[in-house]
Order: sequence, then structure tokens, then C-alpha cells
Amino acid sequence: MSKPLLRAHKLYKSYAMGRAEVNVLRGASLTAEAGEFLVIRGASGSGKSTLLHLLGALDVPDRGVVEFRGENLLARSAAQRGVYRNREVGFVFQFYHLLPELNVLENVLVPSLVAHSFWHWRRERTPARRAAEEMLEQVGLGHRAAHRPNELSGGERQRVAIARALINHPTLLLADEPTGNLDEVIGAEILRLLVKLNQAGQTIVMVTHDANVASRAHRQLLLSKGVIGAASRTGGDAPPASLATREVAP
Amino acid sequence: MYKWFLAWRYLHTKLIAFFGIASVMLCVAMVLVVMSVMGGFLDTIRERSRGLHAEIVLDAVSMQGFPYYEEFGERVAKALPDVVRLTTPVIHTYGLFRIPATTFTSAARVLGLRLDEYRQVNDFGDGLNYDYYYPGTTRLEPQAMPVAGFTEDGDLHLPPDLEEANQRWRTAETDPEKIAAYDQNPFEKTPYPYVTPATAGDRVFAVDVGPPGYAEPELPSVIVGFDLLYVRGRDGSFLRHYARGTQVALALFPLSPTGNPTGEPPVRVPMRYVDDSRTGIYEIDKLCVYVEFDLLQHKLAMDPQPLVEGGMSKPRANQLLIGLHEGVELNAARDLIDAEWQAFRAEVEPDLREADARVLDMAEVYTWEDLQRPFIAAVEKERVLVTLLFAVISMVAIVLVGCIFYMIVEKKTRDIGILKALGASGRGVAGLFIAYAGAVGVVGSILGIVIGALFVWNINDFQDYLASLNPQLRVWSPDVYSFDRIPEVVKRADAVWVASLAVLASMVGSLIPAYLAGRVWPIKALRYE
Repeated sequence: MSKPLLRAHKLYKSYAMGRAEVNVLRGASLTAEAGEFLVIRGASGSGKSTLLHLLGALDVPDRGVVEFRGENLLARSAAQRGVYRNREVGFVFQFYHLLPELNVLENVLVPSLVAHSFWHWRRERTPARRAAEEMLEQVGLGHRAAHRPNELSGGERQRVAIARALINHPTLLLADEPTGNLDEVIGAEILRLLVKLNQAGQTIVMVTHDANVASRAHRQLLLSKGVIGAASRTGGDAPPASLATREVAP
Repeated sequence: MYKWFLAWRYLHTKLIAFFGIASVMLCVAMVLVVMSVMGGFLDTIRERSRGLHAEIVLDAVSMQGFPYYEEFGERVAKALPDVVRLTTPVIHTYGLFRIPATTFTSAARVLGLRLDEYRQVNDFGDGLNYDYYYPGTTRLEPQAMPVAGFTEDGDLHLPPDLEEANQRWRTAETDPEKIAAYDQNPFEKTPYPYVTPATAGDRVFAVDVGPPGYAEPELPSVIVGFDLLYVRGRDGSFLRHYARGTQVALALFPLSPTGNPTGEPPVRVPMRYVDDSRTGIYEIDKLCVYVEFDLLQHKLAMDPQPLVEGGMSKPRANQLLIGLHEGVELNAARDLIDAEWQAFRAEVEPDLREADARVLDMAEVYTWEDLQRPFIAAVEKERVLVTLLFAVISMVAIVLVGCIFYMIVEKKTRDIGILKALGASGRGVAGLFIAYAGAVGVVGSILGIVIGALFVWNINDFQDYLASLNPQLRVWSPDVYSFDRIPEVVKRADAVWVASLAVLASMVGSLIPAYLAGRVWPIKALRYE
């Protein structure tokens, strides 16, 4: 059996809050296959975002293992984890996290700028710019390329964030409550966009507390008291054939 | 690439960066002004010092002078024809300068020189006023006072030889503006007899109602240091108010060959003021008067004197100025001439009287740089010290840049988190802020250099303007700084140095904030509000 794209095994993470220590994750485990749309559900404060950050190597667990294509991310240096975030992962945040000084096109280009040195950029600038423009067309914002983030609606900002997350063609898209800050109509629009991307082959791991949003995924995992609970098949579109019979390892 | 891109973007979108730019700009401008003025001061000293002497000077060191200057001059010119171009003796002494008409009296350093030769070995001729407009008319031989008068057609003119000389200047002058300025005011005049403080200008002559001519008697001539005669006007201009040819007097104090006063009363010499000299060094122009070599030598009893033991003494001079051919290396020439001097001394030593032997022992061969070295070295030290002090003051800019960048990093914590989430490394984020600080330094330096250079180029106009408002605001005092004008030259190398250091200082100032930015934990940064 081939290795999963992403595997988290017995992740523990705690934070100090004043004098108290809060154990957020207490042995959470999961796997995600290539092409899968996986949702991690949980109540507010259940540690969903923390788990997502660990999967994206934005943070390191106190204990446990995160493997990407079978390789332990925690064994990598901080710089190599940065390369992982830049090349293999795209992040979509609840609050968009766009850079206010840059316009839409430039925001989409940032991962590409991070990926290239000053000298390489001279060669890559034109194709990267073309790719960013195409990405904006895909998310329906080609006409807003020159606008600043503060000139966009919430839904538009989130679409820019999705375009930015995809500019380097990452293997894995990690979305942290991408509709959490949007109204129902716009949220549904963003969700449709993510589903469309998944149908095109993009692996997505999303955390949300919204059952309706979660229902569009292939698979839902419930995070409760720091551990992943029972998996459930959802009413989303059919998963890729390779996923149809896979068991979820808690 | 994102480092440069974001650094550039932050530079012109973040208002706070302009405070950093302003602080760097002011510090760069301040240090550049100080370096330029002090550097210009030093360069002017060097340049003027070179123009004051000949390349090589055989100096008596002692005031009574040394004999055999003439013989050695001929010998060295013959022995080193490819090195030595010209030699000329000079006498230095001190005396009292007096203008009988106004009873003005002042101490003066009196130089006896052969004008034609003297102006060939240094820049003395360039600072003569009347010799500029009436070339060839400044001489140290006895002469009468030129008086302007009316010709038969009723025009006011100077005596013919002066008018002809002026015509020569007009023909040779290449700057039409100078001729136009002259034509507006052909010559300032002062009514006969001789002096009035009411008239002032560049050229001042006595005027009579008769035809132009000369007022007798003929008297020995003296060229007077400009600042000894005149004072600067409130607007910074220099005004002459003594007519050319005004009678003055020198009182001199002869010394014996051993350096003792002779015991005779001071020698009073009535003379005519024929020109004024501006070397540009205040101490010299305030103190020096220049007379004919043979006259001074005679009045100081430094010419051949009968000896008790019979025969005549050798004439004495204080210096022998030696002009070199163009391209001759200065120190090598000094060594050659010194070797020649030592050989000459050895030859004449057996015939020397004791007093002469002593002064010849003291006489040394110097280059003009050797003579000015103590002064130049002191100014060099002053320049380094002042520049250092201002550079230390400019350290404030580093601290200020540090504070500003600390604030920027605090404000940009969320952006740092975003960049790290998108794959930027801690080192890369630190590099972003260092590049940002570098950009602040570059822009601040460019602006600072422009402002500093504009200030330096117009510094004398600023000062003249301030002085016209209130004389107390004249900050550059020629009494203190030797030169009447503040140096106005900005050296490219100085500008490059100051700018480079400012950029470096800005980057150093940002190191701690950049380090902190690099250490920001992305999760905390993304949650930062």
C-alpha cells in the first residue's frame, strides 16, 4: 500500500496561558491522501487551527510526528520547513492575511517572490506574472489585479488568498476556516471554488466548525478534547477511487 | 527577491520610514558640510602654503640671516641645471608700519625681496591689486604718487603710463564681465591731497584739477598686506580708501651678525604705498609688508659692512628661495640641494668668521611642505577630530533608525507571520528589514548629499546674507581661520564615504529589530492584532 500524502501521528501540543498550561492536542492523528478533500471539524477552541498549523509546519508539536510523503517534517531544519511551506503547501486563512501595501496581483506573486532569488527573479518574472494573472482569472478577479486589499470585499479578499495559496502549484492546500469571516452567500461561493479546485485534483485539508461547509468534503474528522474522533463519510462529491475504501486511522 | 521588493514598497508607503530618511539625511548633510569645509580649509592651506614660498627654501632659521646666499644660489643653479630653475634671496624682519596722514601705526613683518624674481617662484604676483588692472606698474623702486587729472578735452585720466598699462590689461583680459565691471567704474578716486576715508572701491587714486601726472618726491615703494590697511565691509566686501602712492613710513630695527640689536635708533624709511597684496591667509595679509631687497638689506645693515679686523663682511639674507623646474620631485630635489649645501658649507667653512659659521650651521634646506608641516598637521588633526565628533553625533541616527525599525517590526508583526507562512525564512525576514534600512540609508544619503552640497556651494552667500542682517551672525572669522572665504568645494570621495557609512549605519541600526523580526514565531504573528 502506498504511503499517504500527509500523516500526523499522536500529536501533542500545549500552550502556556498565564500560569496555566492548556493541552490543546493530546495525541491527534490523521492521514490525508492525494486528491482528497478532508475536513477537520470541531468546536471553537478545540485545537483545529493548531492542528492545521502543525500540518503546515508553521508550528512544531511537543510530541508526535508529521510526515509529508513519508518524510518526517520535524526532522527538517527551519529553513527546509520554510521551503515546504513555500513549495508544497498553500495556506488559506480565515482573515485572509493579505499584505496591505501590495495590490492584488503582487499579493498573489508573494510566494513566487519568496521562492526566487533576486537574480533568478529576473528570468522568472514574466512567467510568474502571467501565472498570477491566470490564477486571478481562475478565481474571477482578473479585473481587480491592480486594486489594494482594502478596496476588496471579504469574498474577493479570500479569493485572492486562494489564488496566492495556489500560485506555486502546491500539493496540499490548508484552509483554516476559509468561510468563517464571510456571509452565507459569499461563503458558499468560496466553498464552490474549493470544491472545484479539488475536483481538478487539488488536495485540500480544511478546518471548520460549520457542519454545512464540512458536508462538501469527502471525509470529515471530528477533533474533540485534543484527539481526532470517528471519521464519517460526507455528502460531498465522490472521492477519488483510491480513497473510496481507505480507512481513517484515528 | 521578496526582500528587495517589499523593502522598496515599504520605503515609499510607510510614513514612519520618512523619519528615518530625514534623520539620515540631516546627519549626512551635517557630516558632509563639516568634512567639506574642514577639508577645503586644509586644501586651501596646502595650496596657499605652496604659493607663499618657493618649492625649496634654504632658511637661516635665525633673524640675523646668513651670508653666502648669493654664491650658493649661483652654485646650485649651475650644479643642478635640470632641477633648479631660479633662486632669489629674501630678508625677513619686523618693524613699525605707519601712515603719517592718519597716524595709523601697526607692527609689521617686513619682507625684502626682488619682486621680479620673487613672483616667479611663488604666487605672490597673483594677489597684487593694481598690478592686475595696470600690469607691470607695481614696482618696488622709488617712485612718485600718480595723480589723476583732466586732459585738454576735459576727461579725467591717470598718467599716460598707467592708462597704457590699463589698455594692455583690457586687451589681454579674456573675461568680458571684468572689463564691463571696470568700465562702469574706471577708477575710484580720492581727492588730493592723498587721503579721504569717504571714498572706497577697488582702485583708488588721488585726483587733481590739473593734468594727470605724478606728485613728487620719489620715495621707495612698499606693497602692503591688504588686511593691514583695510577692513572688511559689513556686507563682506573689501574697501580701499588709501590712494595709490599714499606716503607711509617704516621703522626698522637693524641686528648685528650675531643677532644683537645694533644699539642705533630705529631706522625710519618714508615710502609710498604702491599696491596691496592678498595671499588669502589672514595672518600674512594682516602683518606683512614687502619692500625692495637691496633697500631693506641696506637699512638693516645686512649689506657688506667694514670689519674691525679689516675688509668687508658678506651680505646676509634670511632665506634663499629656490624654484624648481616643472615635474621635478620635491623631496628628491631637496635631498640634492641639501647635499649641495653641505658640500658648499664644507668648502667655505675654513674662511668663515665665527658668527657666520654659527648661522650657516643653523641654516637648513626645507621643502615648502616641511615649512608648513606643523601648521598643516595641526589642521589635519583638527579636521579628523571635528569630523569624528560630528560622526559620533551622527550615531544618534543609528539609534533613531533602530527605534524606528523596532516600531516598524512591531507594526508589521502580522506581515512577518504571513511571509513566514508563505515560506520566508527567519534569515530572509531579517534580511528584508536590513534591506529596508539600507534603502532608508540610500535615500537619506542621497538627499543629505544634495542638501549638504547645496549648502557648501552657497555657504559664503548664506554667511554674507546673515552678516548683512547682523554682523554678529558672521560665523567664519578670518582672524581664526586664516582665510576670508569659507571653502566651498565638495569632494566626490567625501560624499561617497559619508553616504556609504550612512547606509552602513542605517543597516547597523536595524540589526536588532531585524533579528527580532527574524525570530518572530509565525503562529504568534498571525494571531497578532
